[in-house]
Amino acid sequence: MAQAEHLVIDRLTKVYERGQVVALKDLSFSVKKGEFLVVIGLSGSGKSTLLRCVNRLIEPTAGSIRLEGVELTRLSASHMRRVRRGMGMIFQQFNLVKRSTVLTNVLAGRLGYTPTWRSMVGWFSKSDHEMAMANLERVGLKEKAHVRADELSGGQQQRVGIARALMQQPTLLLVDEPVSALDPATSNSIMQYFEQVNREDDVTVLTSLHFLSLARRFGTRILALKDGGIVFAGLPGEIDNARFKEIYGEDAEEVEVR
Amino acid sequence: MDAEPHGSTRRESLSHHEIRALLKRRVLSFFLDWVIWGYVAYAVMFFLNHYWFTWIPAHWYDTLALPSWGWSVTIAATLELTVILRSSGRSLGMRAFGLDLRPTSGERIPVLRRLLRILCWHLSVPLAFAGFWARPSRPWHDRAGGAVLVSTKAEAEEDNASPDGGPVRRPEKRALTTQWGIVALFLFGLTFWLGWLIVEANLSTLASRASKAGDLFRKIARPDFRYFFTEDPIFVLRRGTYSILDLMVLTLFMTLLSTFLGTVLAFPLSFLGARNLMGFHPLGLAVYTVVRGFFNIFRAIETLLWATIFAVWVGWGSPFAGVLALTIHTIAALGKLFSEQVEGIESGPLEAIRASGGNFFQVIRYAVIPQVMPAYWAFTLYRWDINVRMSTVIALVGAGGIGTLLFYYKNEGEWSVVGAVVIAIVAVVWAMDYLSGWLREKVVR
Repeated sequence: MAQAEHLVIDRLTKVYERGQVVALKDLSFSVKKGEFLVVIGLSGSGKSTLLRCVNRLIEPTAGSIRLEGVELTRLSASHMRRVRRGMGMIFQQFNLVKRSTVLTNVLAGRLGYTPTWRSMVGWFSKSDHEMAMANLERVGLKEKAHVRADELSGGQQQRVGIARALMQQPTLLLVDEPVSALDPATSNSIMQYFEQVNREDDVTVLTSLHFLSLARRFGTRILALKDGGIVFAGLPGEIDNARFKEIYGEDAEEVEVR
Repeated sequence: MDAEPHGSTRRESLSHHEIRALLKRRVLSFFLDWVIWGYVAYAVMFFLNHYWFTWIPAHWYDTLALPSWGWSVTIAATLELTVILRSSGRSLGMRAFGLDLRPTSGERIPVLRRLLRILCWHLSVPLAFAGFWARPSRPWHDRAGGAVLVSTKAEAEEDNASPDGGPVRRPEKRALTTQWGIVALFLFGLTFWLGWLIVEANLSTLASRASKAGDLFRKIARPDFRYFFTEDPIFVLRRGTYSILDLMVLTLFMTLLSTFLGTVLAFPLSFLGARNLMGFHPLGLAVYTVVRGFFNIFRAIETLLWATIFAVWVGWGSPFAGVLALTIHTIAALGKLFSEQVEGIESGPLEAIRASGGNFFQVIRYAVIPQVMPAYWAFTLYRWDINVRMSTVIALVGAGGIGTLLFYYKNEGEWSVVGAVVIAIVAVVWAMDYLSGWLREKVVR
């Protein structure tokens, strides 16, 4: 069976007005349902901008983004918020509210589904609370629910970030360099959570990664960016030494991360 | 090194943007020069007036008054002096803004060309202001003077960018031995000297009349607590009689109420006055500008002025006037502090809440407020502190509170009772200071 296209990106361009920096030029690619697509490339190659264009945290300059057939670039702000509920996002710096408890951080993932007045007083429904505890259990942090987020280690904070994204019951996960701030051992376990979510919950994952070794291990397909353009799109096995040098530059050496 | 390169600018063509930037620096540097020379000229005239011209008409003596033509002559003369000195290459302003006057050909600009530049300036600049400026990059007086104004900043950047690192830099000198240091020291000295004369500072009077103050202090130091608990039957304020304690309690409630009201109103406004929340959307920008403008204007008007206004509005001596005055100023001052706090938060959590589909209010509730709360508490308590101190003074303009008693007894010459009021005020201010400091420490964690 031919898998359905989950996300289709067509001629996406982003130009930052100040300084006229072209972050993305004319990108076209598509992501199939259930895929684990890894975007690699040097710092500044446009990975983060690409991910943030998909949920329009950054407003694209031109091009089209279609999520399950819905054109996102022309949606109104409130409609876009409703679409964002279905897209979880994980960040390099975790982006937790450090002074709030883990549970509050996780519940914040339900904000898109909660009426404004209820969220103002902090009354999340009973099912939301149950779901939050279930997701915390899933990432192995159930007993930390009432601890302040800044008391956790980097790896634990990222797991809270994952639980928060899962609260949205997403069909697509946008993952921005999830392990750049973590040590190699933790990196691997964090990546395994994404793999699990991808396989068991059938969530499409679009992630950017620094390390090619991780990309090879977890990606079902790889997209390489350089200066805002696609230089490679294909299977992990297809990246040989020549391709590697093309993506990362002549002087680069591959580093193993296990 | 090459002998020639002083000549023309290294890059012949400057972009429109660069020309505008250069022109702006040129104008600003000119005004800096003019202000400095104008200040020096003013000081010189003042000193001449004060120390030597004792034969001048009596109404001139030791005043700032100049003859009717004096100011225009000063302005014209300093303007002329600035033009002459700039053309001869003596300009602090140019140095400050990273500009330098260079000859278009040869090693240096000949004296005659410099004179020609000064003469042409008087034609070229007025015409430029009238809108006849053909080329802002090279005005007519520059061309006549065979000179060009170049940006030393841009040169330094190019030197840094070049592979050999450009010419060798002089090592850094101690701040006060540089030309800037000497000028700064000179200007500080001048200002102090001039200021001393202008404010009529007089140490000998301070010493010789010390006995007068001594009397006063002796009376205050023997405070009279007659009216501390019992009401003073003679002092009537708005058909009521009060003891010191009565008014002290009233004043405390004034500060509590105004701090509370001010904080509650400043809280929502602070989010509208934060750049990072309002974004670059035209509507957001408009709201931001209005709110920030409100903060700045209402903060610039001192509490004492607000008190004057409200005392007229709601009645002389009414504590409500004081509450209104303190509240208005609290809103503006806290609003500004709060907004700046919001602008300093981490943007990551905002992004996360937006990405999960949260709206503006949810972003504020879940990403902004948790981050700013400790600082908000600290600022509020600090403001309470200020309000307590302020509430004792605003009675001077009729805004009620304990100060009314203070100024009443002062005018009656009952310094011993004044002493009692002062002690009550000091005790309360000190206690509130301590309490708010203690609370702040508890809360900020």
